[in-house]
Amino acid sequence: MTPAYLLKRLLMVAYTLLVVSLLVFGITQLLPADAAVTILGQSATPEALEALRTRLGLDQPAWWQYAQWLGGVVQGDFGTSMRNGLPVGGTLAEALGRSLVLAACSLALMLMVAIPLGVVAAVRRGRPSDLVVSALSYVGVSLPEFVTATLLLLLFADVWNLLPATGYVSLSEDFVGGVRHLILPTLTVSLIMVAHVSRMVRSELVDVLHTDYIRAARLKGLSRRRVLLRHALRNGLLPTITIVALDIGYLLGGIVVVEEIFAIPGIGRELISAVNARDLPVIQAGVMILAATYCLVNFLADLAYAYLDRRIQYA
Amino acid sequence: MTGPVLEIERYTLDYQTGRSTLRVLDDISLDISAGEVVGLVGESGSGKSSLAWAIMRHLAGNARERGGQLRLDGEDLRGLSSSRLQALRGSRLAMIFQDPSAALNPTLSIGEQVAEVLVRHQGLSLREAWARGVALLGGVELKSPEAMMRRYPHELSGGEKQRVLISTAFACRPRCLIFDEPTTALDVISAAQILALFTRLREETGVSALYISHDLALVSRVADRVAILERGRLVESAPAATIFSAPAHEYTRRLVSAVPDPARRLIDQPPASATALLEIHKLGVSYGRPGFVDRLFGRASETTQALRELTMTLSPAEVVGVVGESGSGKSSLAKALVGLTPFAGEIRFEGRVLSNAAGMNRAYRRQVQMVFQHPDASLNPRQRIGEQLARPLRLYGLAPGESEKHAVARWLEEVRLPAEFASRYPHELSGGQKQRVAIARAFAARPALVICDEITAALDVSVQATVIELLLELRKRHGTAYLFITHDLNLVRQIAHRIAVMYRGDLVEMIDAATLDARGASHPYTRALLEAVPRPLRGHPAPSSLQGTP
Repeated sequence: MTPAYLLKRLLMVAYTLLVVSLLVFGITQLLPADAAVTILGQSATPEALEALRTRLGLDQPAWWQYAQWLGGVVQGDFGTSMRNGLPVGGTLAEALGRSLVLAACSLALMLMVAIPLGVVAAVRRGRPSDLVVSALSYVGVSLPEFVTATLLLLLFADVWNLLPATGYVSLSEDFVGGVRHLILPTLTVSLIMVAHVSRMVRSELVDVLHTDYIRAARLKGLSRRRVLLRHALRNGLLPTITIVALDIGYLLGGIVVVEEIFAIPGIGRELISAVNARDLPVIQAGVMILAATYCLVNFLADLAYAYLDRRIQYA
Repeated sequence: MTGPVLEIERYTLDYQTGRSTLRVLDDISLDISAGEVVGLVGESGSGKSSLAWAIMRHLAGNARERGGQLRLDGEDLRGLSSSRLQALRGSRLAMIFQDPSAALNPTLSIGEQVAEVLVRHQGLSLREAWARGVALLGGVELKSPEAMMRRYPHELSGGEKQRVLISTAFACRPRCLIFDEPTTALDVISAAQILALFTRLREETGVSALYISHDLALVSRVADRVAILERGRLVESAPAATIFSAPAHEYTRRLVSAVPDPARRLIDQPPASATALLEIHKLGVSYGRPGFVDRLFGRASETTQALRELTMTLSPAEVVGVVGESGSGKSSLAKALVGLTPFAGEIRFEGRVLSNAAGMNRAYRRQVQMVFQHPDASLNPRQRIGEQLARPLRLYGLAPGESEKHAVARWLEEVRLPAEFASRYPHELSGGQKQRVAIARAFAARPALVICDEITAALDVSVQATVIELLLELRKRHGTAYLFITHDLNLVRQIAHRIAVMYRGDLVEMIDAATLDARGASHPYTRALLEAVPRPLRGHPAPSSLQGTP
């Protein structure tokens, strides 16, 4: 991998984000909402509205507003919230932190469960354990988050009364409490991805186990363990990296839903309440942050892929 | 050790498919003595690979062993526990595969794949095994073995990869080696070098080997003894020196006569006229174009020149062979001629000048037809044979007073297929039959030139012989010219008037096939190529050595 390639790839990321920013700004311009009315309320006088518009720069042409906003974003200034007048950056950074904890836990749990499941299913292809894994995967794939979330809440919080239903406790303040609050949301987010990724691992590994080089490895007299772990698994997991990176988009979408259900003040919940309140700077910043996360993860996945498979030469 | 190293005694194997069973090996008995190399020759479906898998104890799930014995140094292979088997594989019994690119793990370094055998079977530490690995790679004549150990399979050529696999197979001094078509995926010159290497290693180590191949000419050069397998039955086993000169069994005789022999020319009719049908002037083909970002940074494009300034002519009814290894530009030539790829330079056909694919009009496209290597890929699997033949007929006009159905039947008959094949689908036909359909489809347009791109490469030698016979017959009847692209020098020397030798995008020499033996080749590459091709071993017994050393 050459430095020129890295630069090229980073430029692509920047370009993608620029397009996203245009779209986001364009869409918020089209929203049937007047920020001044939102802030001052329906009963405000026309003079007061006019004065506020001038102060917020809403009377300027759209391209000027866009340039102003983008200039701020590049410097890390996302503007101020229309609801409470606080800087958007700070509020969202805090919310993003909570969301990332949830996302990281979900991702880790998903990988710890999905990869072994997929490997077991591939190695025992056609046997009962494979069928069980496949059946569970189908169930998992076909259940949307709000259904699994509701079921989990019903069982663990209501019927068995084992875990808290909603809310968020910071891990640094109360670790046990934080973990207890994280369990159900994490389960909900990872479940659907477990299903997806384990199926992917299974099918890739089944293909790899049928290749000539695996046969050659077996006929060299290597142990089953070495053939599976050293020869097959790396090749079988390679495409999974790409799939997981693409699933991050799904994960981010899932987090928005799950945060709302479990009342976690993360970036998803922040975004939903901003949409309800027509708080344009928060909406714009939130979407930009999610898009940037997605781009960054896919960029890292490309790097990981190139590191693990030497045939890939990015130039 | 007295007695044979490998004994196969009355071995019988079935494959279970649904409720029916298919006998793949029927009562096979074959011994290999110490230091002996036995060639096993058969066409596809003869069961030769199944025998290899049976010996390696790596049978498919639906294989059913019906009886017989497999013994290595007197030890019964069939009764081995899986741990004993793992200890045996790769140490006393090793195998070398057809496609070296597929047999190496793409994500592990060469060094690891060589060293792991030594760690496993000789209990060496990784460091010791690595050092031994360097020596092993040096032993198979790989340059800078230390650096080679750290490289990955995609950084090696096919010949180098096969050397790595051979070094791995020889690593633990095996008693017996099984080769499954080890040179089929390599170009002629690398193949000859691999065979020379094997000859040297067997002299040094005294290993026994079972050498499986479809190529009788090659096996007669490598092996001491040749066993012929026909549909699971061993029909003949004879010294390599006499298999060509005195084949005993009727099937062997058929096989021997189907092997292309450059000394036996199948074409005698000289080209009909002196005016050129096709003139190619400074034809060039390059692949790859600069991407958006490269252009943004003004970087030079990384294009590959697949064909450089090729100039040649073709007379009506002339057969010009094109030979060269993969990457020599022979397929690019074919693609440019039918307008499948952009080209530079000029093509003049019947006096009309073409400087790009857009200039190829309907008449040109009718006159120049192509037959591809894999009929499976070039025939539409969801269309009946009749529909596929009717298309060129509809496009380029039927003969007056002939119905479409009649014309389809006539063309099937021309390629010696029954007329009722018109209502069949490609998958119902054998490989040779499919290729006949592809040939019929090309001829249905009544072309003046047919480009054949490795059309017999995927076929068995006996099927190849009948397809070649058909092509020559069609030429005699229709006066068609051929551009016959192949890697098989023996074959093309039988049927071509002139042979274009290509090397890395250049036409290095145009040789006259009829006088090649007398006059010899002038270009060193052509001479190397001619030397590397294993010619059938006819006449008196001779030591089985190869001349094609690098």
